[in-house]
This record gives sequence, structure tokens and C-alpha cells, in this order.
Amino acid sequence: MTKNNQNSDPDKTNKALDIGNSRRAFFKNFGLIGATAAAGGAAIYSGYKYEESKPNHDFVKVLTADNRLVEVPRDQIKDIKVDLTRLQLQGREGLKGHRWVMVIDLSKCRNARKCIAACQSAHHLRPYEYHINTLIMQEAQNTPLYYMPKPCQHCDNPPCVAVCPVNATFKRQDGVVLIDNERCIGCRFCIAACPYSARMFHWEEPLMSESDKGKEYNIELNVPQKKGTISKCLFSSDRLRVGKLPYCVSACPNGVYYFGDENQDAVTNGTTKETHRLSELLRVNGGYHLMPELGTKPRVYYLPPKNRLFEFKNEGRNEL
Amino acid sequence: MASEVNTGFLHDKRLDSIATDILRPVGISKGFLIWMGFLTISLLGCIYAYYLQWEKGLIVTGLRDYVSWGMYIANFIFFVATSLVGMLISSVLGLIGFKWIKPIARIAEIIAVAFAAIAGLVIVSDMGRPERLPYVFMYGRIQSPILWDVTVVTTYLVLSALLYFLPLIPDLAISKGRIGHTPKWLQKTYEVLSVNWNHSPQQYKILLKSVRILLILIIPTAFAIHTVTSWLLAVTLRPGWDSTIFGPYFLTGAFVSGSAAVIIMMYFVRTNYKLDKYLTMHHFDMMGKLLVLVSLVYLYFNINEFLVPAFKLKTADAIHLHDLFVGEYAPMFWSVQLLGLIIPIILLLFRFFRKPLPMLIISIFVLVASWFKRFLIVVPAQENPFLPKQFVPHAWMVYQPTIIETAITMGTILLAVIIITVLVKLFPVIPIWEMAEEKHAGKNDEHQKSSTTSNL
Amino acid sequence: MNKRYLLLLLVVLASAHLSAQEWVVPAENGAKLSPFAFNDSTRKAGAELYILNCKSCHGDPGKNNVINLVPPPPDPASVRMQNNSDGALQFKIVQGRAPMPSFKNILSSTDIWRVISYVRSFSDKYVQEIEKKSGRTGAAGLNARILLTWLKEKNQVQAVIMGMKDKITQPVAGTEVKLFAKRYFGNLLIDEARNTDAQGKALFNFPKDLPGDSAGYVQLIAKLSDETAFGETKADTTLAIGVPTYRPPLNEQRAMWNVVQKTPIWLLLSYTFTVLAVWGFIFYVLLQIRAIYKAGVKKDQETAD
Repeated sequence: MTKNNQNSDPDKTNKALDIGNSRRAFFKNFGLIGATAAAGGAAIYSGYKYEESKPNHDFVKVLTADNRLVEVPRDQIKDIKVDLTRLQLQGREGLKGHRWVMVIDLSKCRNARKCIAACQSAHHLRPYEYHINTLIMQEAQNTPLYYMPKPCQHCDNPPCVAVCPVNATFKRQDGVVLIDNERCIGCRFCIAACPYSARMFHWEEPLMSESDKGKEYNIELNVPQKKGTISKCLFSSDRLRVGKLPYCVSACPNGVYYFGDENQDAVTNGTTKETHRLSELLRVNGGYHLMPELGTKPRVYYLPPKNRLFEFKNEGRNEL
Repeated sequence: MASEVNTGFLHDKRLDSIATDILRPVGISKGFLIWMGFLTISLLGCIYAYYLQWEKGLIVTGLRDYVSWGMYIANFIFFVATSLVGMLISSVLGLIGFKWIKPIARIAEIIAVAFAAIAGLVIVSDMGRPERLPYVFMYGRIQSPILWDVTVVTTYLVLSALLYFLPLIPDLAISKGRIGHTPKWLQKTYEVLSVNWNHSPQQYKILLKSVRILLILIIPTAFAIHTVTSWLLAVTLRPGWDSTIFGPYFLTGAFVSGSAAVIIMMYFVRTNYKLDKYLTMHHFDMMGKLLVLVSLVYLYFNINEFLVPAFKLKTADAIHLHDLFVGEYAPMFWSVQLLGLIIPIILLLFRFFRKPLPMLIISIFVLVASWFKRFLIVVPAQENPFLPKQFVPHAWMVYQPTIIETAITMGTILLAVIIITVLVKLFPVIPIWEMAEEKHAGKNDEHQKSSTTSNL
Repeated sequence: MNKRYLLLLLVVLASAHLSAQEWVVPAENGAKLSPFAFNDSTRKAGAELYILNCKSCHGDPGKNNVINLVPPPPDPASVRMQNNSDGALQFKIVQGRAPMPSFKNILSSTDIWRVISYVRSFSDKYVQEIEKKSGRTGAAGLNARILLTWLKEKNQVQAVIMGMKDKITQPVAGTEVKLFAKRYFGNLLIDEARNTDAQGKALFNFPKDLPGDSAGYVQLIAKLSDETAFGETKADTTLAIGVPTYRPPLNEQRAMWNVVQKTPIWLLLSYTFTVLAVWGFIFYVLLQIRAIYKAGVKKDQETAD
């Protein structure tokens, strides 16, 4: 490392020049030419790139994730390598001692679709690619219309997992049903098997496949998404790991979602952050499962749309 | 198949004339080259379509999240179904002792081999990540019906290929010295494939024993292959698929489409190769009766499949049935049921229609209808899921096959036709030794016994 | 055009609605004042909190882009909002009423005052009145301690609050204490808020069926409600008072949906047996082809001899 501590390596110098040139072109586009460009180019370049050719006591400029240019001592720089194997291993194992459950209070949903937006932005999906969708429901002709958010039900008897030929989708010890798009062969048997239409397929290149290129695949976030594979609601397993509520749950402005751990008999509302006894919440409000007759044993409970906070309003649109 | 072979037929003069008749069309003719050229060029177009799908993903098809299985899966089921006829003709009818199936058995096996081989390819065309096919063997979950399907389709393909090949060995040996009109490499192939066959009783004994094992083995395998294929749909909870009779329903449907395919091939072999001495009116008559029989059984399962849910009209079933009976799919549904099942049954009850040309036309209707029947089984059930389809583009909600998808499907059919053409044109399509032996034995029988029991 | 018209209609309707269901604030709450003076730093902190918690309904202040609810959420810059006293705003944020949620568990009382300071920055006429006894209420407040103990026979948790006053440790009487059980995503309120007695004691009925960890341990948190007087005083104690709960991993049993290592035995056996049997026969037949070949060689030799 310390051996070639002068900028003598011709290859390296050339490379630096090349990049400087491309920077110049970049700045030219914005109307800045000449010395500024050269200086700016060099500065940004040195911030970007770990140059091994400089002595150790130096400072380097580093562009942080929130776009600040900061200086750090060179010898304190460490390469963070997110290891795919580790991510896959922990993602498949799940969080010990927990059984996640979600409670959706239909009396509070007004189809704000904030949950959907948060989910789609976290998982790099298009507006019509859903991990969670809100549906207009009606039980019978004379019963009222209501909105029903519908994530994956994370069934305890998951029909989708049972049919997977390659163990690409699987159920973890904490109840989450995940999908490994490094494994998925794209047969779509799971889509056929899911009675809740909770799964989606990447028919084309995913939305952010260009910018996600090179990112290490996180099975708990399912990003980068991959063409020709399945994607689905993950209960935001990456957030659960750090003790945060799922994206949709936190994004809801109306207190529709409760999320928690069945083992602790507690669920926390994503909007009010109030924590309730799960058993109490279900008992008082008459909680139920979606299509329990199918025997899928969902981990998502619904509270009936009774005493609603909002009147049902629909702009007469249920297509995109 | 008899347990012993009287090799006396080898010295019977009639062997010569039989062999000459059957081997005459074998070889590479101008017609064959033109036909193969046509098939190959068409296939190239289809391969280009697949290239597009490979590049852009399944977005080039009409498939979307709600209807995620379409033409490809329907095509897959059709291929698996049609291939079952090999088992029906040579095993079931052969083991019972029907003699008339002898000249047809090899045609049936050719169909079995070609369709089973391509079925595997069809399923790859439906995969989002075809390059990950090896994962099925590396990470297979034996709980998944797909794994069962892969297992049984492979097994069935091997069994059918063996069942085609083993009875062919004596013919290859007989052909030695009689196919001077064919290219050298083909003669060489015959030589190699005939595995030192010299008609010794010991070889016949081994052959008959092996064939008998295969004939017995292939029956459960064939049942398994199509039952498991039906389970790909029946193990799900979807209304329209969630049925307990899907196994036998598919199996009997398979016999219908397979019998139709055999009749079509019999017609072409008979007329093109002038083999009407071997594929006689009697054979067409019997195949016609067989088609009526299997169609009646299939009709019975159809009534079961539709009448029972139509009687109860459970919400989801009612929507599904409405779509089929009077809704969007009604024209297709009734065409398929009438033209592909009910009218053929009625017509084939009359002797007049059990003649080659009318049967060819009826069989084409039956075969095409059976393809669309698979489509009707696969697609409409997905268009009516339990929960409403909302907040997606319109194209997401309904299934409209694209040209690319159709081209790829056509490509698989072309491939099957190519395999069939090669097998039919380059190898004896009717078992020479079995024909000769039958003639020989028939003469001897007349000498020994005055009365022979005839089957049917 | 249409949108504007709708908005107008909405405002008319809303004001009609408003008179019908006025949000009444008790006089004592309405008179409450912020314990600290509003300044740029409180406004900045308030702005951040506002964006996270309020903006989705109340919109951007002054831009009148509130969402369509009944009753409509007022714009913070509007006269309707600014006419509230500081105490009334605080009361409404703490209590909530449908469709506005209560923020008492989301924002601390200091944070609520920060949000109010941000809201007040949109009024030119506003002059802040600060609570006279604001600031520190003496040493006692700063050094309060909570001690939690488990009274098994009564199934109660006892909180004792002691504070320093005049350099002597004394019980803190008559202050509100809340007890929580720590759960994965938040704190579960146990029983209800209680006031300490003369000995600084407060008793909480503990539910008999609250799951603890596998040994029954539950992490308890006690908090003093009067943050103004005591700052953020809390105790964090783990006691073995829950129901010992061990639930096996959900993917433990053999099932059709589990991984291949957890295949049901019957399936494993029948699949393996069938495949082996059928392929055994297939290999036998393949060997027979070899036997045919060999028989041919022998015969050829015999005839040659």
C-alpha cells in the first residue's frame, strides 16, 4: 500500500486526468469553465476515490450519503463490504423469538394511499406494482363500500411457499414469508397459488435497475429488484431488524395499522405510536382474518369498518 | 405382445414384400427437404421471438400479475396430454391383447416421444429466469408439484423413447441391405442402432421381456404425468381450479387429444407413403370407435366438472362459470365443447364417418379444440381471483396474448412436427417384424386351429 | 377551476360544520402557558416535528393545502388556528379528536410546545406570554428517582418516587406516574396513570396474563407525567412478573410448505421409493439392451465358427 506513495504510476495519473476531463465536460454543461472546472473536478474526484498513492497522515474528502463533502483522516477509512452471504443467511433465518402480526383497522382507512407510496419508494416499485394495495370492498349488494388495505397475509400455512419448486420463497421462524430473487426461477406458481393476489412479478426491467446496479442484494428489502422474478410484501423485515415499524405502518396518516409481536401480545399503532394488547384490540373490535375458510392462517388481522372516521368517498376510479 | 416369437417369419416370403412396402418411403426425398426447410425457416422466426422475450422479459407477452399463466402453460398441458396416447395404445390396448394396434403402436410412440420432449421445452419458455433451470435440480423442494412434474415428465420421456426404440431394433436389422436407396450415414445409423441384432431367439426373449416391463411401467408413469400436471392447477385455492376430479378429467381429455393426433398421423402416413395395406379401413374404424369411447368418458368428466359447481353456484364459482357459459369466453367455450367433443361423438357413431378423410377432418377439429380447452382451463380461472382487481392499468386485468407469445408457442409446435417428421421419414414407421410375424402366425394358426378368436 | 370551486364549497360547509361542533377546551387547559420562551431554535425543531407529524393533514402553513377531511384540518397560518390560545393548542394536540389523532404518546410535552412555537411563527400579532414560574422548580424536581418493586401477593407494581429537597431525600407526593411494559415497537401502558400518595407511593395493578420472555421477565418503565417540573424522569427495571412465554419458531414442524429438509416423512418416503423403483427398472432395461448386443456378438462368433 505505502510503496507507491508518489503519483508516479503512469496508469493512475492518466486515469485521474481522464476523470478530470469528464468532470470538465460535466461542468461545462453548467456554464462553468476553465480553472474552476479543473479545481472542482480534482476536488470531487479526490472525495470520491480512495487514492492509495498519498501518505497516511493526509485527509481525504468524502462525499457522505446526505451529500456533504467532509474530510476524514485517510488512515481511518475502512471499506464497508456488505456481504451477500451474510445478508442471505440472516434474512433466511429471521428474528428469533418473535411472531410478527399486523392489525388493520378498516374503520380508519380513507384510501390515502400513503402506505402504498412509502412501500413503493422503499422497494423501488412502479406506481402499479404493489406489495400492498388498497381495495374497494363490498361484502354484499346492500352492504356499504369500504377501503381495505391488502398486504401479503404472511400465512402460517402459506400456499405460495408450498408450491415453490426451488425454495425461493420461504417462511421464517418469525412468521415472515420472504422471497429470494437470487433463487427465484420465475415459474409464477406462487402467484397462481396465492388466494390474496398478494404477489407481483417483474415482467420487465425493474424501475430502478440501472441505479441499483452493483448494490448488494438484501433479501429483507428485496432490493435490487430483478427482472423475471417475484416480489412481494416483506413486512419490511429490514426495519423490523432494527426495531422500526414497517414502511407502510409508519407512513399511514390515519392510524389504520398496528404492528407488533404476537409473543408479546402487543401491537403498536404506526400513527399514534400507542401500544395496545393484541388480544384486547381484537376482542374489543371483533378482529377477523381474511378468508379464514381457506385455512391459510394469516398473520394479518382486520378490524371491521364500523364507526368509521371517514365517509366512503371514491372518485369513481379503480384503474390506473 | 406375445411372450414368444416364432422366428419362422424370417424365412416367410411375405417378409420381403412387407419390408419393401414399409421401407420404400424411408430416406431423404425432395419433399422431405422442402418440408424440413419450410419448418426450419418458420422455426427461425419463432426463435427470434424467443430471443426478444429473453432480452426484454415476459413483458413481451400478454401475461401480467393477475393472469400470470397463459398460452404457455395451456400449451404445456396440451403437449403433456397429447403425449399420453403412446401409453394408451401400446400399453393399455396392447396388454389387453388387441392385435389391430400393432401397425399404429409406433405412430403413437412417435407422438409420445415428440410431445413429451417438447413439453419440457414449453415450460422453459414460460420461465422468467430460464437460465436458472438447473436450480430445480440443485435446490428442488420435493413438496412442490413442479418437482413431481419434472420427475415424471423426464421418466415418461425416457420410457417412451425406450418403448419406441426397443421394438425398432429388429426392424433396423431387417432393413440392413434393404435401404440401399438412402444416404450412407443413415445406413450407418441403422447399423449402430441395431445393436448386433441377429434375430436369435435369445435376443427376442430379452427384447420381449424388456418391452413388457416398459409397457407395464409406463401405465402408472403416464397416469402420474398428467395427474401431476393437473395438480399444478388443482393444488391451488382458485375457483375453477380447486377441483378434486382434475386428475381423471385431464387424463381422459389427454386420451381424446392423443387419439385425434394419432388419427391425423395415420392419415398422412397412409396417403403419403401409400401404406393403405397396413393402415386399413379397419384400423380407422377401430380408432374412430376408440375416439368415441374416450370422448364419451371425457364428456362424462366435463359434466361432472361443470354441473356440480353450477348447481351450487358458490360466489367465486358462479363468476367463473358465468364467464365460460355466457360471458366473455362463451364463444370459445361452446365451440370447443360442441365442435371438439359433442359433434365428433355423434358423427363418429356412424360408420360413414369412420373413414379416413372424414376422420381426418373430425380429428383436426378435436385436436385444435383440445388446445383451446387447455386455454379455457388455464386463463379464465385467473381472471377472477377472490379479491377485486383494482388500481392497475387495464391491460393488467385481462389477458390478451401477443404476437411474440403466439410465435413462441407456434415454435414449440413446429419443433414437435420436426421431430415427428424425422422419425417418420427416416425410420420404418410400421413395425415390419411384427407385421410379418402376424401374417406368418396367422397362416400357421389356420393350419392348426380352424377357429381363431378375433378381438372386437 | 373545479378544484377551487370545490375548495370554496368545502370552506363554506366546514364553517357551517364548525359552529355545530366547536372543539371546547376546558378553561384551565386553555390558560396553560409554555414553560420556555419561543426562539429560533424551538421554531426550527418545531418545524421538523411539524413536517413529520402534522403536515400530511394540515399541509404547508399559509398555502391552504390541507387535506379533505370532516371537520377540515385548519391551516396553521389561518386565523382560525391562530385564535387559539397556546394552552388550547396544546390541549388539542395532546387530546386529539376524530379524525385528528392524539399526540400524547407520540410527542413529549416539550416537543408539543416546540410545534406550537413553529405554528406561532406564522402570526405577526402573536406575542408570547411565558409561564411565570417557568424554568426549574427547584432541586427536588431535578433529582427525583423512581423505585419499582413487585408486590406479588397483591399482583401489583409499586412505584416509590423520592426527590431531594433542602438537601434531604423526601417522598414526592401528589404527582402523576405512568407505568409501561416495554414491547418491541413501543411501550404498553399498564393499568392507568396514578398519583403518588404522601409516602410518594403509587400502586399499579399488573395484568395476570401479560407475556414476558421465556423466564417471565418484563422490562418496566415508569415515567413522571409532569415533565415541566421534573424533566424526563423515568425508571427502567426488569422484573420477573410476566407469564413465561416460549413459542417455538413458526417454521419448526414438518410441512408441505417448509424447506426440503422438513418434508413430511410420508412424502419423502413415497417419492424416494417410487423414483428409485421406476428408475431401477429403467436401468435394468438399459442393461438388457447391452445384453442384446452381447448376445449378438456371441451368435456372430458361433456362426463364424
